[in-house]
Amino acid sequence: MVAGASSNDASELLQQQVLDSIARSRPLNIVGGNSKAFLGAVADGDALQTSNHRGVISYEPTELVITARAGTPLSEIEKLLAEHRQSLPFEPPRHSPDATIGGAVASALSGPARPFAGAVRDYVLGCRVINGQGQQLSFGGQVMKNVAGYDVTRLMTGARGTLGVLLDVSIKVLPVPEQQITLESTIELPAALATMQKMKGSNYPVTAACYHEGKLSFRFAGSEAGLAAAIADLGGDKTRDTSFWDELRDQQLAFFNTDQLWRLAVPSGTPALDIAGEWLYDWAGEQRWLKTTASADSIRETVARHGGYAQLYRAPESLQASAGVEHPLPDKIMQLHSSIKQSFDPHSIFNPGRLFPGL
Amino acid sequence: MSNPASDAPAGERDVALACAILKQRFGERLQTGKSIREQHGHTLSWLPNQPPDAVIFANDSQDVADIVSVCAEHKCPVIAFGVGSSLEGHLNAPQGGVCIDMSQMNQVLEVQADDLSVRVQPGVTRKALNTYLRDTGLFFPIDPGADASLGGMAATRASGTNAVRYGTMKDNVLSLRAVMADGREINTASRAKKTSAGYDLTRLLVGSEGTLGIITELTVKLHGIPESIAGGVCHFPDVESACRATIQTIQYGIPIARIELLDVSQVIASNAYSKLGLKELPTMFVEFHGSDSATAEQSELFGEIVRDCGGSDFEWTKDEAARNKLWQARHDAYWAARQMRPEAEAVITDACVPISRLADCVEETRKDIEANNFLAPMVGHVGDGNFHTMVLIDMNSPKEVAAAKEFSERLSARAIAMGGTCTGEHGVGQGKTRYLRDELGDTVDFMAMIKQAFDPDNILNPGKIF
Repeated sequence: MVAGASSNDASELLQQQVLDSIARSRPLNIVGGNSKAFLGAVADGDALQTSNHRGVISYEPTELVITARAGTPLSEIEKLLAEHRQSLPFEPPRHSPDATIGGAVASALSGPARPFAGAVRDYVLGCRVINGQGQQLSFGGQVMKNVAGYDVTRLMTGARGTLGVLLDVSIKVLPVPEQQITLESTIELPAALATMQKMKGSNYPVTAACYHEGKLSFRFAGSEAGLAAAIADLGGDKTRDTSFWDELRDQQLAFFNTDQLWRLAVPSGTPALDIAGEWLYDWAGEQRWLKTTASADSIRETVARHGGYAQLYRAPESLQASAGVEHPLPDKIMQLHSSIKQSFDPHSIFNPGRLFPGL
Repeated sequence: MSNPASDAPAGERDVALACAILKQRFGERLQTGKSIREQHGHTLSWLPNQPPDAVIFANDSQDVADIVSVCAEHKCPVIAFGVGSSLEGHLNAPQGGVCIDMSQMNQVLEVQADDLSVRVQPGVTRKALNTYLRDTGLFFPIDPGADASLGGMAATRASGTNAVRYGTMKDNVLSLRAVMADGREINTASRAKKTSAGYDLTRLLVGSEGTLGIITELTVKLHGIPESIAGGVCHFPDVESACRATIQTIQYGIPIARIELLDVSQVIASNAYSKLGLKELPTMFVEFHGSDSATAEQSELFGEIVRDCGGSDFEWTKDEAARNKLWQARHDAYWAARQMRPEAEAVITDACVPISRLADCVEETRKDIEANNFLAPMVGHVGDGNFHTMVLIDMNSPKEVAAAKEFSERLSARAIAMGGTCTGEHGVGQGKTRYLRDELGDTVDFMAMIKQAFDPDNILNPGKIF
């Protein structure tokens, strides 16, 4: 099955632009829908626009695999999948209607289903890229299992465009559950964290767990009859309305309306952290959003003590520059990052500094 | 003792000197006896024995770091060895060097029950881990046929019969510690769910077959033991209808945990070896994990699909002894097959294709087997589109060896032409290096650049993958 009118293969053009940039030693900023421009430091450079390289290349619902060009809007892919009652299980956030599948893979951001269904990395089966020599290369494939050589596909996932230009990606999709139910209850934070953790290890088909504004919400896949035990166990109000989860996924809740936001990833079982501010707990407590005026150093120090890390997700440019977006890496790990970057992008033209300063 | 391969950097590699220095450090833990070297130079592979110059039994990661440091200085090949169950000559030492036996590094370090994870040393085997976990209500699902070590399973990105539900090692390794080619140990990620920003070093090392670093510790995901497990057997008139039933099952979103196919020849072999008494027809083993009501519902639904697709005799049970017998038989398929011709070696193929092409690929392969008059039982992880043929050949017959190689080549080409891969789970090792280029083209050169960046002197498991 191949998509129609909006389909366009711009790989030759993109490859030519990359070759020109190499020749002129000019860095490139890879841009898809530009919906995540806030994420990471954007360096000087010419824009390499992928949004014209778009369209679904193949989709066989029976195979549970879709292959699309990187510039294809997520909305187009999700609409096509929904026609066959399938979806992207990792629920990538759509920061705007222009968000593309390439951007979703490059940023490796996952939605509320993440701790239960897995991350972007768990579903990307293969990709075609342009590397920093201007070559087109394919990695992985469209089959469920492939151990032919190094797992470069997952190296590209989350590299934020610093290793090359994603051209096409093949992604495993899953059937949408027949029915979904949300249970909501009002509860104090420590009890909410404990309940989320308990439910994560349970046999119940939990697909999301969030604590926000004193309210604990669980999403389940399955029928009311099948969930009788869970409903009796948890209590609270039932709803079939999924709008809360959509708004959480797309960061459209009022909470997210801010220009300074931290994203904390912590191990399961981490208690409430002693940092003053406004919190939202997703991923059964393992991903925490924080609005605070506390210093970057104190936040990173507190989170690191619990075995997690903190990312300055959104921030004014000045704070981004002084505090850095990511938690700094140990020296040896940074050296390996440089080696990888050097192998992929020897002329340092792709998204310099977008992931780490100097990379 | 030293036997530098012709492609080693001239005048630099000094295996004998590295071994002499390591002997000082490790004493009796460094062994050079012929039989122990041969045990470590030949695993479950039809490739010839290629022994290392010395075998060292490591006790901890400091030992590994010390060994690699000495080897780095003298450009001596160094190969990590778990239990030796890999199938493509991954652990043989074609260029000699030092083999690090990890079997003594077999401690379960910390069960993080709240986190559904466990930290282990690389020599812990999958069965030992599950025995250790038995009182926790948790289990580790990845189950290649052999009782492999976790370090080896991570290094080869192993999978097994549970992959359709629980994924493969790529999905279940959360973080690693590994000694890199310069002897320094790294930690790839913290315990937090999403690895910190940066390149995914964990997954780059998973499946790198010991060529980028030596795994010294792993944190792997655990899963809650399902409240209920239901399993069963059914028969199909042909492989095509079995594949159709698999596709429908996945389409309906039935969360099947295991779905395995045995062809007639394998059924005959397993009946004899594992005393199963199954009808001599293409046979499927299935299993469902979940709540009591869910597994019952799933089993009923699956039964309907089987009937729709022309299958028969689907019977399911929650009885543990009956289920265990079935799955032990599935895991023993390799030994059952070899029993059909005890003097022969098994050349094992590992094609993986899109599920919609599986029936075609199996059928064409079946015709190829018949045309060659091979004895070659077949098993398939049909939920993943991955299947294995075990071609039983007499290694003393050059004609049979050549025919099996040509058969393997045709099968790999067939799988690649159908949009699949020559290796779904066994890896490249030495056995599949030449198909890798057919499948990936110039990408192989690019992977070699990554290898060069991580291990410029090519000391980590040289002669594998590339």
